[in-house]
Amino acid sequence: MTPFLPADDLALVFAALMAISVLAYVVLDGFDLGVGLLMPAVPEERDRDRMVASIGPFWDANETWLVLGVGLLLVAFPTAHGMVLTALYLPVALMLAGLILRGVAFEFRAKAATPVHKRRWDHAFIGGSALAALTQGWMLGRYVLGFAEGFGALLFAALSALGVAAAYAFIGACWLIWRTEGDLQKRAVAWARRTLWVVAAGIVGVSVATPLASARIMARWFEMPNLLLLAPLPLATFALIAGLAALLRHMPLPGDALRRLPFWVAVGLFCLSFAGLAWSFFPYIVPERLTLFQAASAPESLTIILVGAAFVLPVILAYTVLAWRVFGGKAMDLRYD
Amino acid sequence: MEALTLARIQFAANISFHILFPTITIALGWVLLFFKLRFNATGDGKWMDAYRFWVKVFALSFALGVVSGITMSFQFGTNWPGFMEKVGNVAGPLLAYEVMTAFFLEATFLGIMLFGWRRVPGWVHTTATVLVAFGTTMSAFWILVLNSWMQTPAGFELRDGVVHATDWWAIVFTPSMPYRLTHMLIASGLTCAFLIAGISAFRWLRGDRAPAVAAALRTAVVMAAVLAPVQAFVGDQHGLNTLEHQPAKVAAMEGHWHTGGNVPLILFAIPDEATRSNRFEVSIPHGASLILTHSLDGVVPGLDQFEGKHPPVAPVFFAFRIMVGVGVLMIGFGLLGAWFLWRRGALPTLLLRGFVAMTFAGWVATLAGWYVTEIGRQPWLVTGVLTTAEAVGPVPAGAVASTLVMYLVLYVLLLVAYIATLFRLAAKGHVVEHLPGNQPLPASA
Repeated sequence: MTPFLPADDLALVFAALMAISVLAYVVLDGFDLGVGLLMPAVPEERDRDRMVASIGPFWDANETWLVLGVGLLLVAFPTAHGMVLTALYLPVALMLAGLILRGVAFEFRAKAATPVHKRRWDHAFIGGSALAALTQGWMLGRYVLGFAEGFGALLFAALSALGVAAAYAFIGACWLIWRTEGDLQKRAVAWARRTLWVVAAGIVGVSVATPLASARIMARWFEMPNLLLLAPLPLATFALIAGLAALLRHMPLPGDALRRLPFWVAVGLFCLSFAGLAWSFFPYIVPERLTLFQAASAPESLTIILVGAAFVLPVILAYTVLAWRVFGGKAMDLRYD
Repeated sequence: MEALTLARIQFAANISFHILFPTITIALGWVLLFFKLRFNATGDGKWMDAYRFWVKVFALSFALGVVSGITMSFQFGTNWPGFMEKVGNVAGPLLAYEVMTAFFLEATFLGIMLFGWRRVPGWVHTTATVLVAFGTTMSAFWILVLNSWMQTPAGFELRDGVVHATDWWAIVFTPSMPYRLTHMLIASGLTCAFLIAGISAFRWLRGDRAPAVAAALRTAVVMAAVLAPVQAFVGDQHGLNTLEHQPAKVAAMEGHWHTGGNVPLILFAIPDEATRSNRFEVSIPHGASLILTHSLDGVVPGLDQFEGKHPPVAPVFFAFRIMVGVGVLMIGFGLLGAWFLWRRGALPTLLLRGFVAMTFAGWVATLAGWYVTEIGRQPWLVTGVLTTAEAVGPVPAGAVASTLVMYLVLYVLLLVAYIATLFRLAAKGHVVEHLPGNQPLPASA
């Protein structure tokens, strides 16, 4: 197909599509994985079933955003795809093992023959969620520092692993505030309050570490007029954290008012953090090594995907909204087996 | 072992594990729709019971297919970076279309199909079933398009050593695509038919005589009786197409070392790559000439024409015989089952036991068939364009070996759990069909 956009614009469009997919994945599977991370804090089987039921109808579609994100990387930036995935070979394999265990545990725990077997699949669900969250955080840490070697870089990756796991637990807790009631909801509020501070520390940590590690990133943020133009980003982040901390102190509110708000604030925090990282690294797709313009595929092939995406993505969004409406409200006792 | 061999074993293990589940879900989606439509038309609760039981098998199989499929999308990059660098301009859009038109559709509407009973009207639930079935089939379509392009590439040109698309119509409709797609869709139908027949026969033999069990069994036996003979014909046509476009593969399948006429059909042999001949050969004179050229003395190309450029003979040769052998068994079981249903209205105990033994026959035939076509393409990854060795990544053998062990342990564990869960569901099938939360809204609501 004849390209109707210049090659560089096409690369930009695909970078944006990929960024949206990755962000959608991190938010959507973030709360799924977060629910898995929180499960060890809940000993009662009935509550565990509710937690799983709250994400049961969603997790398949949520995980598909990962396939789309990696697919777009593969399709639009094949050189970067090879470079990133071979550099992250072992954590990717571990993440996949985690996602496999977590994904099949939904089905197997519900169909387990005995309570002992069900507990075992609970462990697989928890372990799989933890493994996936930690390895994703590890990979983010490695990526942010451009796959640098050395003790400092690995320590940063380890902290990033914990930070991302905490962020997932946080958004998972906010999801449960929305989707559960009673005692479980109260516990979810407590989890959200605790993890919010870890998330705040993580955001500050990454914001300090990346400019210190790279003079280029330092210049992007702190030179005039960027400093002023970008000021709303950290200010909004700070306002959301402070506001949410205040709100959570009083939750659950009478009549379950504002039950959705913590989740959407969490989504906002994820978006702001993501925007910050994107600004730091643009136009690099492999930090300090390869720009997205250098890595882009042939314009003819990108064009044919773009035409398809222009028709299909709105449809995907429409039926995603439909599914969210069908499964709105509190998680019921879904019979999964 | 070297990294290339390990990377191939790892990808083969992953893709073999993966295909088990789509092979079930592609056809099972349509069977579920059939159950749902029968219920809508007749109002007979047995069809809904059958739906409720088999939708659980669908969900379980789908989950395993999803997680192993995600693994594969990553392994393109981790194991075969050279693949996308060389042919990404063709493979990329095809994979992207699969994700966009199929993956999201299945994943989103599966939620409504499984949990939407009480939340949506009957017609929305039926529509969700249609969309999930359609999604799984679309997924198969795009993957088979890509695989067929790798087997018989067309519609492209090489610029600076990289493949560029010139004609998307030709890329999608490569010479082997219609045959391969049809063959695979019917294979899925047969796999599903024998799975349903096997599990239903198992329930029947245990004394579970619910009308839903009989209905599912009857549906599956009729499916098998119709599809198995059709598959033999389609497979033959696919083979003739392969002879035209990938003669080296057919020579390996048939174990023909030497080009010539009056070629016998080899039933059994042990191909020996060192001496380039067969040992212990049992054959039918003129058979291969007759099948492949439709004349007794037709000339069939042998492996001697492709020395150094043909696939390893023994695995292709044996896998082909396993596939055909299971296929013949399927025809026998399908026709026998249909005959008993027609004449006696029920299956004798011995035949029911036979169907239980055949529960996973579709898996065996499908895997064997894919081994024929994938090993048969070697040494090429994309015929004439890219060899497998050229595409492998720089990951050291040790890393590949350790992740391979991890994957294998995981796959064996999951396969055991899957099969155990299937039979446990079957053992308490009547409970599964009547779970309180699973009653649908009436179709008119």
